[in-house]
Formats: sequence, C-alpha cells, structure tokens
Amino acid sequence: MSNEITMPKLSDTMEEGKILRWLKHPGDEIHHGDAIAEVETDKADMVLEAFEDGVLDELKLKEGESAPVGAVIAMMRAPGEASARRAKPAEAPVATAIPVEAAAAKPARPRIAEKAPAPEAKPASEPEKAPAVARKATVNAPPEMEEEEAGPPAFHPAMGLHPSAAPTALAAPPRQPLRIVETPEVEPEGHKLRASPLARRAAEEAGVDLEHVRGTGPDGRITKRDVDNYLREQQMFKFRRLVHPHEGAPGSREELSSMRRTIAQRMALSKREIPHFYVTVEIDMEEAVRFKKSIETTELFEEDITYNDMIVKATALALGRFPRMNASFENDGIVIHPHINIGVAVAIEDGLLLPVIRECERLALPEIAAVSHRLVAKAGHGGGGFTTGELSGATFTISNMGMVGVEHFAAVIVPPQAAILAVSAIKEKPVVRNGQLAVGRTMMVTVSCDHRIIDGIVAGRFLQELKRFLENPASLLV
Amino acid sequence: MANSRYDLAIIGSGPGGYVAAIRASQLKMRVAVVERDRPGGVCLNWGCIPSKALLNSAEAMETIRSAAKEHGIETGEVRVDFPRVIQRSRDAADKLQRGVRYLFKKNKIDLYEANGTVAGPNTVALAQAEGKPAPAASEIEADRILVATGSTERLLPGMKIGDGVMTSREALVHDRLPESIAIIGAGAIGLEFGYFYQAFGSKVTIIELEKQMLPGVDAEVAEEARRQFVKRGVKVMLGHGYKSMARNGERWSVALDSADGEKAVDAENVLVAVGRAPLSKNLGLEALGVEIERGGFVKVDDSFRTSCESVYAIGDLIRPPLLAHKASAEGIAAVEIMAGVREPGFDLLSIAGCIYCEPEVACVGLSEAEARARGIEVKVGKFPFRGNGKAVAINEAEGFVKFVVSEQYGEVLGCQIIGHHATDLISEVVLGRTLEATTAEFGRTVHPHPTMSEAIMEAALAAEGEAIHI
Repeated sequence: MSNEITMPKLSDTMEEGKILRWLKHPGDEIHHGDAIAEVETDKADMVLEAFEDGVLDELKLKEGESAPVGAVIAMMRAPGEASARRAKPAEAPVATAIPVEAAAAKPARPRIAEKAPAPEAKPASEPEKAPAVARKATVNAPPEMEEEEAGPPAFHPAMGLHPSAAPTALAAPPRQPLRIVETPEVEPEGHKLRASPLARRAAEEAGVDLEHVRGTGPDGRITKRDVDNYLREQQMFKFRRLVHPHEGAPGSREELSSMRRTIAQRMALSKREIPHFYVTVEIDMEEAVRFKKSIETTELFEEDITYNDMIVKATALALGRFPRMNASFENDGIVIHPHINIGVAVAIEDGLLLPVIRECERLALPEIAAVSHRLVAKAGHGGGGFTTGELSGATFTISNMGMVGVEHFAAVIVPPQAAILAVSAIKEKPVVRNGQLAVGRTMMVTVSCDHRIIDGIVAGRFLQELKRFLENPASLLV
Repeated sequence: MANSRYDLAIIGSGPGGYVAAIRASQLKMRVAVVERDRPGGVCLNWGCIPSKALLNSAEAMETIRSAAKEHGIETGEVRVDFPRVIQRSRDAADKLQRGVRYLFKKNKIDLYEANGTVAGPNTVALAQAEGKPAPAASEIEADRILVATGSTERLLPGMKIGDGVMTSREALVHDRLPESIAIIGAGAIGLEFGYFYQAFGSKVTIIELEKQMLPGVDAEVAEEARRQFVKRGVKVMLGHGYKSMARNGERWSVALDSADGEKAVDAENVLVAVGRAPLSKNLGLEALGVEIERGGFVKVDDSFRTSCESVYAIGDLIRPPLLAHKASAEGIAAVEIMAGVREPGFDLLSIAGCIYCEPEVACVGLSEAEARARGIEVKVGKFPFRGNGKAVAINEAEGFVKFVVSEQYGEVLGCQIIGHHATDLISEVVLGRTLEATTAEFGRTVHPHPTMSEAIMEAALAAEGEAIHI
C-alpha cells in the first residue's frame, strides 16, 4: 500500500511551497522524524520531516519546483512492499491529501498524510468520493514524471541509423537539454543500460555515470571508446607525474610537459570557444571568520574547517538554487548536471590538478572538509595515488588564491563547465556598519560564466546567494 | 540488362566484391558486378580455398604416416597420386565458384563477365575479357561504383615466372610433385606451401630476408613456428636476401645474400611468395583523380570513399592486411555506410590473421611488442597446449595461446595462437574483442572439457595470474 506525501502547510499564510532540496531519494528508507526535503515557504526555509516509517518510492516534484499546499509531492510505501510506481507506471495517483485545516492545526509540524486505500482497490468509477482537496491537488500538481518520460524523445544517435533499435534507444535518451536531470535512482521504465564489460569497467574506474555517455555501438551500445571520448570531453587535466622540475632559466626554451600541454590546449580552447563574462562581489567575511574560530575552539567537528571548505559548501548550496550554473553546453543544448561535483584547483609543480569533491549537494560541511583535505594531501604528494574519478567529472570549479594574498582576479572556465569561481584573499578593509566606519574583513569573489548558458542576471543572483550564505555562516551547517 | 542504371556497380567479384554485392542487394540496392575472370576472385579460385584443399591432403598424408607409428595402425606402402591431389583442389574451387553464381542469381545481381574500368564518376566501361564473349553492353551507369579488384602476386625485380619458377597461382595447378623446392618468403603463403610440399616428401628450403619467420607476427609465435618447421625437416634460412636465380641444368640455382656472405640454394622448383600487390593500375582511377598511395593502395576515408565522391574501394586494394575476410567485412561495412545503416569507421585490429599450415597460426589485435611500443602497460598470459587435456589426448600438444591485455582493465589488446586448429579457436577471441569482453569474461566463461578452447580461458586467466592448469 503506497502513501502519498503532500505539500504541508508550514505557516498560516502559506499557499504553496517550493522544494529546495530532496534529502531523501527514491529507494531510501525513511524513519519517523527523518528530514525528507527542504521546503521554501513565503516565510522561511523549512525541513519536511517524516511522520511514519517507510521507503521513499517516487518524487513528484523536482528540486526548485513549487506545488500548492496539499498537492502530492512524493510517494512512499511500506517497508518491504514492492514499488507501486514500477508495477503501474502509467497510473495517475489518487490524491487524498490531509485536509488543510488538519495541517493548519499543527503549523510547525510538517507531516505525511495517510493515504486512502490502494489504487487497485478503488473502482475507477468513484473518483468523486475522493476529498475535494485531493482533486484540487491532482489538478494543480505539476506534470507527473511518467508524463515527462513519455514526452518527445531527446535526440538519440541510433535513431537515424537503426530503425529496429528505436524502442530501447528512445526509452533511454542520453541527453535532456534544458531539463534538470532527475536523481539517477529514478530510472525510466524499461530502461536497460547497454554497455560492454570493458566500458563498464573503464567507467567505474573513472567514476563516470554511464547514463551520460552516448553509445555508438550497435543499437547505441556503449563501448570503451565512448567512455574515453566522454572523459576527454569532461576531463581537464589528466594527471601525469612530472619527471623533473621545470624551472625556467632565463633565455632557455623548455619542452612542454604533458600537463603543460594539456593546460595550454584546454585553456586556449576555453577562451576560443566560450564567451566569458565576469561578475564580482565583495563578501563581508566577519561572521565567517568568527564562525571558523568558534568551530576551532569548540572542536565541534573532528576535522578542522578551512575557509575553502566553507566556500565549497556555500557554493554547493548556491549552485543547488541556480542549477544553470552547474551545467554544460553540449551539442547545441544545455545539460544541467544531476550532481554538484566541485573541482578545486590545486597548484602543483609546473601545473595544476583539479581534484573533485563529488556530490557536494549531499555532503555536510565536515564531510566536505574531510574529502577536500584528503584530496589536497594527495595533490601535495605530487599527485600520485589519485584515481581517475578523483580527477574527473567536475561540474563547477573553484580557484582559490586567497593564500597568496591576491586582491582580485578572474579565472578561465574549464570546458565544458558553465562557470568558475575565483576566490581572492580575505583582507582588512574599512567598512560601513550601521552608518559607522569600521575595520572589516572582506573577500572578493569573481565568477566567470559561459554566456551561452548563463546570463548576467543569473550570475549576479548566484553571487548574491553565495554572499548570503557566507555572511550567515550558520546556514553552512545544513 | 543493357543500358540500365544501377544503384551500385562493383568491379571485382572476390570475397570483397561478391559479399558487398549480396549485402547491397539485401539493402534494396540494384547491383551490377563486373568480373573479368571467374566469380569468387583469387580467394575461391587461386587462393584460400584451393590451397586449403591441398593442405587438407597434406594433413591426411601426415595422419596416415603417423598412424603407423603412433596408433599402431599398419598401412603398408603409402603412394601418392599427385595429379589427383591437385585435381581435388581444383574441384573444390569449381564447386564454390558455381555457388557464387547461384548467390548472384538468388539476390538478383547482374553479373557482367568483362574487363571493367572506371570511365567516369558514374560509369563503368566494359571490354571483352580474355576467353569470354563480348559483353552485353559497352558500359553501365551507377550512382556509386565500388572498386574491389584485389591484389596479385608480387615479384622482386628481375624475377620471371615460368619454366619451373612459380607463384602460388602456378603452384596450385602444378601437378608434378617436385623432388626439391626453394620457397622465397616465409610469410603465410610460403609457410603453407612449405608445409604442403614437405608433407608429400619434397625437400623444402624456406628463404626469408627478415631475421624471423612470419615477419610482423609475435616473435615467440614465429620462433615456435620455426622450431616446428625445422623439426619436420624443412630447411629454414632466415636473414637471407634474394639476389638472383639461374637455370642450372634440370634445376634452378637461387643466389642469396646474408651476413655470412653469398650462398646458393639449388632446387627443382622455385616458389616466389614475397607478398601481394594491389591491382590499382589500368582501372581508370588516376584519370578520375583518385588518390593512390605508396605501394599502390587506393586512398579511402572512414566511409571507404576514394577522392572521387561516387567511387568507393575496399579490400586488398586499399590497405593491408590482405585477407579475404577483411575484404568481405569491409565490403559489408562500405555498403552499409552507403545505405546509412552504419556509422563510418572500421576496426582493423579485430581482423584475425590466419595461417593454415601445421601448426596453425592465428593472431588478432596487437602483439606484446606492438602494445608496448604504443606505450600501453600490458600483462601477458600464456598457456601451452601441453597443459590442455584434449591437446595431449590427440597428440597435438605443441604450441600455445598468448593473451596480451591491458594492465588497467584487462582489456584484450591482442591474442596469438599457434597450434592445432588455432584458426578456429581465434574466433572466440575476436568475438570477445567485438563485445569488449575483458579477461574476467573469458575467465568466467565455462569452456567445455575436453576441448582445445579451454586453453583460451586458461591463457586469459594466466594474464591475471589465475590459470588453473599451469
């Protein structure tokens, strides 16, 4: 028996809510009191908590989408029960949301409505027996996922080639431009990912999600070459151990190291192809400095938190709200990445490494710190010991030159990412607080954006959001 | 039939041309094939098929000879009717040649038995071919032309065929068993004829300029082949360059150059087996501006298109390896690309090279040396047939299987097999490469016991240090 989770009424004036972030994903076990989602209301951002035990079955709303109070936003099933969605993919949910009054009676307590009898038990001819609110919710609910999957298929390379291949090929569109890609757990019905054993192995080792790889084999089968091509597109710097240091003696000519060559090629490509524009804001870091100190003195976390970790966390939060900043321009479409994988540029001898903190949207601040410190330590040892996955697949990059006292700079975008954030040093500066001149600590950040994907206003709002998080660092503990 | 316009005109009906024609017909094209000799080309008439018939006779001879010794079967005196050996081989070729005619008819392909040349981007001119009636039309028109004229025996400067000096073509119909024969060239053809004549009792000398037999093949395999030939009584002269040959009474004297100075080999017959050369001349290609590369190979792009947009080429004509199955596969690929049902490109590394002497040799992909030269970190797995139950039981325990796999993923970069039925065993590895199987899949695929194929599984496991029977 499935239960519906409806949009709760979290305040007296709330009429609709926006899902900021799903904290649970289909297939996840949910226990009473678990946080399921972050919901933005007219008053504040709230956390939606589970009211009973079960397994999250299906998400009806994507992150960033809104729904009216009472609308079905997700489906849940009893533990051990088979997924209703998979069994009856085309079925429209029969919404029986909690009455508005009932929810209003407990404004502070988001809850999951108990769902009425299972759909199959209910004769189809009796929809009018459903509560009024439920009908309204059904009507107002955003498009169901099933509908979306049945919509016009995205381009697939195999389409024009193998007529016989059509059904499977169409069911698995490799690219969905201009659409936030759903959590990968939600696989379209009948989707069978076809890839060779070698391609699977190569993808696994490189941390590549085969969902994003275009297959060129028979009927769109993914071969190793397809994975290689994908990596070539995605990867900025393939790590190679440097044989000897390259100290440029005046008047000498040095041969390019392979890393130097890669940097030269990628950066030239970036500037040649990507129309860059730059937006800068100054961020008041006073609170952030205090926050960092308090974490250190209270030893709140096992891991020390650096400014960079805080910036990564704040960036991940801001990217979650502006998915366009976490995208790629590919084949005349815009691919919005399902995960926020932040690359952190690390300088090494005559070159750069770009270790990647994967799925930042799921990581809490201390987790980001732990991953980041481990990666940076590896880079410090000359870069040995990285797996390919740790150096590829970034969807956004942060270049931090704070440690060398830089006042302000702008960075070159790493193709095929949409943007890169250049972080300068925290400096003491005269600031105006409450109409008084005071000594403050500020930091300049500049985001370089691909104008094909992002317009100035989006970049500006993104920076505003980033600034808001860093100036209110308690938000980083989410 | 005359003055008709075709979707595709193919010049040459060898394993490249006739297979392309059938595939094109399946893809609903109207197809014409122009052939100046017999349908089936060199492969069916003067190459693979008749030579395999001869080698089969040689194997029978060896079996009978060994029978007395090993199986305890008494045969009495064994006598050979050599002209019948040759005739049997010709019969096999004739039968298959008729088969190709039947396939053309079945697939509604028009066969023009004439000398075809490319007279324009869409025109094939037809001239009367030797020993054939005048063609039904003087030219045919087609949207696309596929040139599949193949290759011919290569000669070294100053060599003349005749009077006991032969290429493989003459040898296939030479019905007098030579008392002795000097074979110039230790490639596939040289080895196959060397084995054949040796089995029937000729004194065989194989002469090779390179320092190893089977130049280009994995050195370990080549050395094993040399050992086996020497063991059978063949004289193998590596690092000996051909200088000249002269009639010396009833025999020929072949003068050779080597590091230890000049040498001469005397023999009743000389077989020239120094490779094959593409037949790209006198086809009208130059006049059309079709680019021809060094060695006479016609230059094509990923879609088998020549520098003339409507003219395509495949097979021996465009690039090595000069193998029938490569020509067929390219023919199918070219036609499918034309029809838009396949993406351009062709994986030459998945073409297995096969040599049908005993022991057989079969190789696919990169050799260990080639892989290392490409800077790939490799693991090598070797499994000798003496560790294989079936091989020991049938007393064919010579040789081995060698896998070359990538250190990183266990990707099968190449595989070399030398031993009994190697050419049949290799297909498993070729399929594995097509499916991009890794050593894990080869190792986990349960191979029936007792078969020679178990050696494939064991060699793949050996690359991971996990072979069971060694």
